[in-house]
This record gives sequence, structure tokens and C-alpha cells, in this order.
Amino acid sequence: MLGYIFRRLFRGLITLIIAVSITFLILRLMPGDPTTIMLDPRMNEAARQRLLKEFGLTKPLFTQYLLYFKQLLKGDLGYSFIYKTPVSEVILSRLPWTLLLMGLTQIVTMFIGIPLGVFAGYRKGSAWDQLINAFTIFGISVFIPWLGITLLYFFGYRIPIFPIGGAYTPGLNGTELYLNVIKHLVLPVLTLTLIYLANYVLYMRASMVDVLSEDYIRTARAKGANENKVLWKHAVKNALIPTVTMAGLLIGRMVSGAVLTETIFSYPGVGRMIYEAVGQQDYPILQGAFLILALSVIIMNIITDLLYAFLDPRVKLD
Amino acid sequence: MTAKINETSLWKEFFKAFFKHRLGVIGLVGVIAIIFVALFAPMIAEPVSGYGDVADILKPPSLKHPFGTDDMGLDIFSQVVWGTRTSLKVGFMTVIIAAMIGIPIGLFSGYFSGLISTLGMGLADIFLTLPVLPLMIIMAALMGPDIKNIALIIGLFSWPQLARITRASTLSVKNMEYVVATRSVGAKTSRILFRHILPNVSASILVNMTIVIATAILTEAGLSFLGLGDPLSYSWGKILENAHQSGAFLSAWWFSFFPSIAIMFFVISFNFLGMGIREGFNPKLRNR
Repeated sequence: MLGYIFRRLFRGLITLIIAVSITFLILRLMPGDPTTIMLDPRMNEAARQRLLKEFGLTKPLFTQYLLYFKQLLKGDLGYSFIYKTPVSEVILSRLPWTLLLMGLTQIVTMFIGIPLGVFAGYRKGSAWDQLINAFTIFGISVFIPWLGITLLYFFGYRIPIFPIGGAYTPGLNGTELYLNVIKHLVLPVLTLTLIYLANYVLYMRASMVDVLSEDYIRTARAKGANENKVLWKHAVKNALIPTVTMAGLLIGRMVSGAVLTETIFSYPGVGRMIYEAVGQQDYPILQGAFLILALSVIIMNIITDLLYAFLDPRVKLD
Repeated sequence: MTAKINETSLWKEFFKAFFKHRLGVIGLVGVIAIIFVALFAPMIAEPVSGYGDVADILKPPSLKHPFGTDDMGLDIFSQVVWGTRTSLKVGFMTVIIAAMIGIPIGLFSGYFSGLISTLGMGLADIFLTLPVLPLMIIMAALMGPDIKNIALIIGLFSWPQLARITRASTLSVKNMEYVVATRSVGAKTSRILFRHILPNVSASILVNMTIVIATAILTEAGLSFLGLGDPLSYSWGKILENAHQSGAFLSAWWFSFFPSIAIMFFVISFNFLGMGIREGFNPKLRNR
């Protein structure tokens, strides 16, 4: 088990190094002058030359690569062109909102998607199964901004029960503030849930169908075990294993959904910040956002994998 | 001669299974319709650009403007029709780039074990876990808004899926007798990989290619929506961006509705086509 944790942490580290390297390569190999990405184009020439030296942009490429790592290890992500403050400060002030949105979505999708998948797999071919399947196809085909816009149209505009944007109403305190934050979260979380639910349902359904045809299920039934027990204790527990793997992969993709959803709902997370930075060509912000999001995803993945180890006794024995 | 007969009957069987699968047929019809609209766009709708008639600003669907008009007074139907070309172009360019990278990596890492295999798949896994949209945004912002750049960027991030499926299929055929036989007569590795293994794993690759196209369309629309689309071409995502930016997306439902339906139609058609192809190649799957 200890070895497994260690290997998992090591893989996380490698992933992070590759993420950083890809970012470095993109920034340096793109057409055009790399300095335009690091330095505000409105800066005067003397200041520009001084900063070029300071950033080591006059040194050979490999030295720059090492310097880039050193800089990142110190938590230095550069300066935002627009906010004129360190990128790390800007992003860290936005990150909690995105993590809240994604974390809540992950929990809601899991609690709805897994039972639905179990049910669809167990009643394979029934009308319910087909209904759930049709809904799943909708989930993988719909364009996120449109789903957001549609929910906003109905529940924020036509029947204004939810706010149309933001994360909270300023000036509230205590319980009122908490309730207000939750109210602002409902539509964005619903948008992302409707999209990512499909993945859980599909995976859980497929692995239930597989597991239910296994010999040990037949044995359990043959020895007269209660059908509910067979289903939940023998089948679901094993069917969960591939689903947990998928959940890990889903986190990275959910970031894309978060960027689009936050944009629609003017939600003050990293995603909305990315959208604003695109409009203003604030490259340091874009770069920092990717690196921080990559780090968050890697950490969440490690947590998922530990959960996986907990579920699958074969890993523990290893 | 005998080989020829076998081949035709194989295809016959494929089409028989394919056409029995209702969703697959719906997908095929949908894809043909999309290609038709893209090819004949000039005959279906006149291209619009710049500013329309002031009297036409944000008008709901009517006979003259079946999908209504946008905040510039431009016909949305025309934009949706012409947007089909962009989506199709991006979809096909993306899948070609993804295939050129993903298939060789998948073949090599499936056929050889050891370092190459570990490295290839490790890289694919890393690409699959990382949040790639922010990375694509950086690249699109730096390379400039152009359809070719966007297709290239999406393609560069779509290969892992194809690599994984190619590898999985390669693993399952590489020890089959016909491959062992080819190897034993001393055929070159590249010949074994591309002439003998590839044709036998092409079914699952083809299925996944339709999924890559569908996903690419959603990504393109997403990038356009975030303001990274090609300003010189029509794009469904861009219509939604205009709707969102103008603030008219709540009062004028048609502004975002029709381009979104187009996106969904495109994605569903390609997904269904993939399901049909899978069914056609592997009738055993029918009971799952």
C-alpha cells in the first residue's frame, strides 16, 4: 500500500513536470517574440531591456528552461498585465470558487449518476434503461454554454427564482451569506451536473452489466443470498472500480466545463478569469491559470486513486 | 478470386448489420445532410456580414428570417448554414491530425513492449488527465484566430484517445497466428504494423474517429464562444458568443437556440454514426 502511494505521488510529480515543460515549449516555440508574452507591450524600451535580463530571456533556451522551473518552485508566476499584481495572488483569490463549483458538481453527479447507472445496468433493456440512455446521449452532445443560457433563461429570467450571475450578493453576513452563496451555485452546478452525469451513468451501467454476468454473482444467487444484498454488496462494490478510474479522468475535462459555465454565469472563478484574460491578452494570467489548474487536477487525481486503492483490495495486497 | 468474394461478403455483412441499427442509420443520414448543407451553402443562404438593416435588429423567427436576426440585424439562418462549413472543416482536419499522431503511437506501443510502450501510453495518459482547454486557449491566443490553427490545436490534443484504442486493439491481434506467420517469413516491422495489423484494428479506430470529430466540434464551438474563433469565418460558437456578449441571450431566445441545435445535431449525428459502425463490425455487441 505504501509503495502504491509512493508510486502514485511519483506519477503526479512526472505529470506536473510534463505540464510545466509543455507550457514552456508552447510559450517559447510559438511564432512571434516570446517577450511579448512575458512583458507588457505598453512598457518602455529601457524597462523592457532591464526585465529581459532579469527574467533571463537573453540566456540560452535550456538555461531559460531551468530558470523557469526555479521561478515556479518559488511560486512566482509573473505579473498580470491588467491587475498589475502577481499572477499567483490573482489566481489564488479566484481558485476557491472554482474548486467549490467543481467539488460540488463531482459530489452531486456521483450521488445521482451511480445509482442511475446501477439501476440502468440492472434493468438492462427496460424502458427506464432506454430513457436513461437517451438522456445520456443528450449529456454528451449538448453544448455547455447553451445549457447554461437555457437554464438562465427559464430560472433566472422567465421565473426569476435564481440569480443570473455572480457568486454572492455583497453586504450579507452569517447564515444569510451561506444561503446566498448556495443560491448562486444552483444553476452553475446544475449545468455541469447535467453534462457530466452521463459519464457516471454510462460507466456504471456498462460495468454493472459486466459484473452481473460474472460467476460469483451466480454463486451468490445460487446460495440463496437476498437479491438486494447480491446487488449492492457483491455487484455494485466491484462495478464501482472502473467508475472511480473514470472519475479521475473526468476531473481534467470538468475544468473545460467550468471555464464555459463560469463565463455564462459570471461566476468569479478561475474560468471566468481565463475568459477575461483572453479578451485582454493577459498571457501571464493564462499561463498561471493552466499551471494552477493542472496542479489542482493532479492533486484531485491522487486523492481519487487513493480512494481506488481503498475500494480494490488487490491494490492493498500489492 | 476467392479472396475477392470473401471481401464482398464481409462488407455485405457489415452493411446488413449497420442498416439494422436504427441509430446508426439516423446518424448516417444526419452526417450526409450536414455534408450536403456544407457543400451547397451558397445555394441555400446568402452569406451575411458587417451590419444588417437597423429595422432588422433582434427580430424573432419569421418567413424572411427563419431563425430570426442577431444584434447586428444579420440573418441567423445564413450564419448557421455557413457555420456548417467551418465545423465540418475543423472536424475533419482535427481527426486527420489526431490520426496521424495517435495511430502510429498506438501501433508501436501496442506491438512493442518495454520503454516505447510505457513512454507512449504514459504521455497519452498525461494528456488525458491534464485540463487541456486552458492550454488550448493559450495556444489559440498566441497563434492567432484562424480555422487552421484551431484545428491543429484541437488535433494536437485529440490523439491520446486514438492512441489508446489503437494500442488496445493491437495488443489483442499481435499474437494472432497470421501476424506470427508474417513475422516468421521475415516481413519488415513497418509492413507488419501498417499492412497486417492496421487493417484489422481499423474498425475500433473508425468508431473512435467519429467521436473525435464530435468532440472537436464541441471544442471549436467552446473556443469560439470564449472569443478565440476565426473572425473571418462563420462559426456556431461565435453566434453564441455574440448572443452572450450583446446581453441579448435572455430576451432573444432564437439568438442562441438555433446555433446550439445545429451543434447538437452535428455531435449526435457523428456519435450515432459511430455506434452504427461499431454495430456493423461487431454483431456480437448487439446484446449489450
